[in-house]
Amino acid sequence: MTLWLTFVALGVLASLAGALWRVWRGPREADRMMAAQLVGTGGVGLLVVLAPLQDWAALDVALVLALLAALAAVGFVKARSDDGAGDPEEAPPTPEMMRPRQTRHDPRGRHG
Amino acid sequence: MSLALDLALCALILGVALATVAGSGLFRAIVFFIVYGLLVAVGWVRLGAIDVALAEAAIGAGLTGVLLLAAHGRLRRLGTARDASHGAHLLSALAGAALAAALAWAWFVLPLPERPGPELAAAMPRAGVENPVTAVLLNFRAWDTLLESIVLLAALIGLWMLTRERDWSGRLGLPQHSRAGGVLASFGRVLPPVGLLIGVWLVWAGADRHGGAFQGGTVLAAVGLVAAMAGLVRPPRIGARLWHVALMIGPAVFVLAGLAGAILAGEFLTLPPPIAKPAILTIEIALTASIAATLAFLVLGPPEEGRAP
Repeated sequence: MTLWLTFVALGVLASLAGALWRVWRGPREADRMMAAQLVGTGGVGLLVVLAPLQDWAALDVALVLALLAALAAVGFVKARSDDGAGDPEEAPPTPEMMRPRQTRHDPRGRHG
Repeated sequence: MSLALDLALCALILGVALATVAGSGLFRAIVFFIVYGLLVAVGWVRLGAIDVALAEAAIGAGLTGVLLLAAHGRLRRLGTARDASHGAHLLSALAGAALAAALAWAWFVLPLPERPGPELAAAMPRAGVENPVTAVLLNFRAWDTLLESIVLLAALIGLWMLTRERDWSGRLGLPQHSRAGGVLASFGRVLPPVGLLIGVWLVWAGADRHGGAFQGGTVLAAVGLVAAMAGLVRPPRIGARLWHVALMIGPAVFVLAGLAGAILAGEFLTLPPPIAKPAILTIEIALTASIAATLAFLVLGPPEEGRAP
């Protein structure tokens, strides 16, 4: 059982490494931020797997991580708003967002 | 197999640390630093230091990320979010390498302490609490903790001194707003009840299990920040008396307990065994209130009446 759990933990760790590649590559800031959130989720998973392996108190850390990893995402959307204190949802939808999906990549380049 | 797990974790931590300092781009470095905090928290769990892991998870994954991202957003609005010059990079790289070398030297030169230390094991029955970390922090080495709690307060006062004259009577930080019923506002309503429960539990459990005033206080600060950033709770003004009490009650109760020790046991900050447990719990609860308020106010920043940027 211990061997199996360690194997699962290694697998979760490998998937974290995949998310790190996205943090490195980007290309947009949102891509990097979402990859960091994925590392947070993977970290919670890793801690839950580690808990029976060594110390059930690892669940406490997983709990705190699950609660607070999303805080960085809140900080990110805040920092991206115009005055640094707003909410992207407050902005009225741009014509780009309102356009039906199939015309978004219009070959005539109307969106550009 | 267990060794493979540790090696993989170490490789990831080192790789992320390298990517933080070596890659170009400020934003990428910030995101890598957040990831670094997450992985280091897992590393502390592997080392069996659950209390440190809790603090690292709360500070590294939660508060530091918000602080750095807000600073980056502000730099971008000011139009100055670009990399420093090569000279500055080289200088900080040299300083970092020197610090790492000094730490490595200390690691090899100093004798390895026995875990958990025979003196500590012998002294634990007098501590009043079961968690050795709490016993050291709040009983055997209470001086350090008392001074640290005062340092936090001094940091906040230093930050408030940066307030511009015209903003002095305003509310702390930028005036936060969000779309009513939107994702952010809903998140600000869902997270605080859960976080409040976990924060209080970490403090309460800290006496005999893992956790404590710092971990619980950080979680509570983060929860308050979410509510404030969602625009649901308005931050107080610098002059709010009730919050002055919250900021000072931790160090104040600590000093009072120390004086009580001076009277009962003949030495400042010495807690005699009969009153050790209630005294430590009282100090922890008071410290939690102060740490939570101080950290939340530090992240919110000095009052700014929404003047761009």
